[in-house]
Amino acid sequence: MERKIRVVMAKLGLDIHWRGVYLVSQFLKDSGMEVIYLGNKFPEQIVEAAVEEDADVIGLSSLGGSHLTLGPKVVRLLKERGLDHIKVFMGGVMAPKDARSLEEEHGIAKVYLPDTPMQVIIDGIRSTVALA
Amino acid sequence: MLETRQVRNQSPPECLFSEEHVKQIKANYQDWFDNSLRDADRESEGKYFTHSGIPIKLIYTPADIDHLNYTEDIGFSGHPPYLRGVYPNMYRGRFFTVRQLAGLGAPEDCNERVCYLLDHGATGISILFDLPTVRGYNSDDPEAEGNVGACGAAVDSIWDIDAFFKDIDLGTASTNIVTHLPSTSLVIPAMYFAVAEQRGTPWTSVAGTCQNDFIMETCVGSAPEILPPQASFRMQCDVIEWVCKNIPRWNPVSYNGYNLREAGTDAVGEVGTAIANAMATADELIRRGMKIDDFAPRMSFFWDLHNDFFEEIAKCRASRKVWYQLMKERYNAQKPKSLLMRFHVQTAGVTLPATEPLNNVARSAFQGMAAVLGGCQSLHIDSYDEAYSAPTEEAALLSLRTQQILQAETGICSTVDPLAGSYYVEYLTDQMVQRIWDHINKIEGMGGLVKAVEDGWLHREISTYNMDYQKKIESGEMKIVGVNFQVAAEKETKAIEVYEYPETYSRQKTKLEKLRKERSSTKVQECLDALKDACHREENLVPHCLEAVKNLVTLGEIEETFREEFGLWAFPLL
Ligand code: B12
Repeated sequence: MERKIRVVMAKLGLDIHWRGVYLVSQFLKDSGMEVIYLGNKFPEQIVEAAVEEDADVIGLSSLGGSHLTLGPKVVRLLKERGLDHIKVFMGGVMAPKDARSLEEEHGIAKVYLPDTPMQVIIDGIRSTVALA
Repeated sequence: MLETRQVRNQSPPECLFSEEHVKQIKANYQDWFDNSLRDADRESEGKYFTHSGIPIKLIYTPADIDHLNYTEDIGFSGHPPYLRGVYPNMYRGRFFTVRQLAGLGAPEDCNERVCYLLDHGATGISILFDLPTVRGYNSDDPEAEGNVGACGAAVDSIWDIDAFFKDIDLGTASTNIVTHLPSTSLVIPAMYFAVAEQRGTPWTSVAGTCQNDFIMETCVGSAPEILPPQASFRMQCDVIEWVCKNIPRWNPVSYNGYNLREAGTDAVGEVGTAIANAMATADELIRRGMKIDDFAPRMSFFWDLHNDFFEEIAKCRASRKVWYQLMKERYNAQKPKSLLMRFHVQTAGVTLPATEPLNNVARSAFQGMAAVLGGCQSLHIDSYDEAYSAPTEEAALLSLRTQQILQAETGICSTVDPLAGSYYVEYLTDQMVQRIWDHINKIEGMGGLVKAVEDGWLHREISTYNMDYQKKIESGEMKIVGVNFQVAAEKETKAIEVYEYPETYSRQKTKLEKLRKERSSTKVQECLDALKDACHREENLVPHCLEAVKNLVTLGEIEETFREEFGLWAFPLL
């Protein structure tokens, strides 16, 4: 049997908005992925969990304004531990220029802004993992 | 269990329409239905629903509201059951307060925005805090990393509240302090009261509101560290008890239907849950020896005006009636003010997409109009850049202007409750009253709201609702113009400027360093010890917080004490 894509999802830091992350988690689950939702966590804890869970993907949700500080930190920590194969996806509310910067300069595989259909997110994660 | 559905008075003279008249209308309706409609029209019956699921008929007539009795069920404004409004003269006497939110950067930046809004005709102030402040961390705590000044203003100590209200007279301002959580509602308003005292403004003239709602701590928002529902609920009650005894013009609680609605519930759940929370509070304060009339006049509510125009108006009207029934029948309140449900409204942020953001100007204006037709006491209209960041000055001004247009140009404020008598609106209002009561009774049946939260029931309700809502968006059943309906072939992107305050962290850090040098560490320790002690006794926590903030104890230190003394609660992950 094909291995299910394993996704560790988290709310970044103090961000209280759980509506979106819950929904994305649920839709990914329904599409056949293995989703482990951590709740609100900081970068170190998220990376730790990703290791423990043998994750293919980390999903970070940020509607609280810490996307440019805590997001890249997760990627840095992964690099330091030689875990570059884990792809980091982000979503939430942020300036479109910040989203571009996260993708182009900070090693985030893809950022999904509000109004993105769930199927786009599901397909995006699938195709990225398939290529890896 | 409450049984408040009134015994319907069937004697014809008391009802809106005579029995004979209604009979005739029913016959005519059937004739019209059978002969004037096409098959397709007839088949469409049963397929339309309001947002909260009330079936909508193609047409409403007196026959749909023939059970209503004008005096008992609808009445006059300023008179029971207050369905038509809390004051007899409504907006002729006093417009709703134009209260736009402001929250960004350091207190000093935020003061500028507040003054800007006031200079442009805002009549109230509503201030928002950044996430470290809202969740009780100092700007230099490790948890605050990346969030200082990001989605609200940073507050660490009484100095910041002083800076926030520089050049603003606390004796005449009407300030809404958006603390959300009870634990910070113990502290930030205390800073405000202490600053007033230092400036020689008597507490008798300090007016405003704080949000102080334990479901914000335990359910509506998630966080790395959450206090247990019981502890948070106790704090909620402490604030209300103390404020009612000491600050006569302060509303110590704003039951947060809004935030729950945005987290995920319908109009019925929004109002029903908020009222269930008020009931839990009332029961606890009565247990503590207070009388209903000591605190009910100070309870205020906060509604979310979502897209379903008529249902939202019906919700506002119904909420006033349910509150009246509750106060009168269950609590036997005597003071007229105890019977009045007063509420602030914010338009629904969750209905505002990032795509084609200018469309949000139209959405918010309609929602704002519904709020006024629903008889709100104060209003915030969201800005078109809602799905990007805290509003820019331009966007905030447009929201303010929208409110002023509603007041000055549309004419909707000239008469009381102009939609009364609409067969549809009265029908919906009556339905809402019944459904809100059913919701309240359901929560009562589970042992009350604190229990329902502890059990994770409310969390599950939210999740189920959200899944359903999102599926409707994904399938296109719920239409969002520009997003899944009438989608532009080419995405037009409007460059939206986003507010950023990267320097806030260093400014707050410098202030904190100075503060730690200037204060007496012995005094600080004494205050924290006394507070710790009080946590474990049945003693009101406000006086201890007041003493602490006056002695320059920081918000983060007080909140850390709470986390240590009450322990943390595991948010039910679904
Ligand atoms: C709902 C909401 C709330 C609710 C949250 C309830 C909850 N349980 O989630 C409530 C009312 C509680 C709330 C509170 C606050 N909010 Co709020 N809120 C919103 C709002 C209106 C909608 C967010 C939402 O749920 N959308 C629906 C979901 C489905 O969309 P989504 O999360 O964006 O997810 C989509 C994508 O982003 C993506 N996605 C999201 N996460 C992830 C993760 C991964 C891995 C992937 C792949 C994709 C992905 O996929 C989804 C589908 O497309 C936004 C504005 C907006 N319109 O976006 C403001 C907004 C996010 N809030 C904001 C703020 C500031 C706050 C407060 C901090 C204000 C304050 N200072 O008091 C408070 C928090 C206070 C507290 N004490 O807790 C700001 C944030 C500003 C910023 N980041 O710069 C916003 C942008 C509003 C604004 N313009 O001011 N809020």
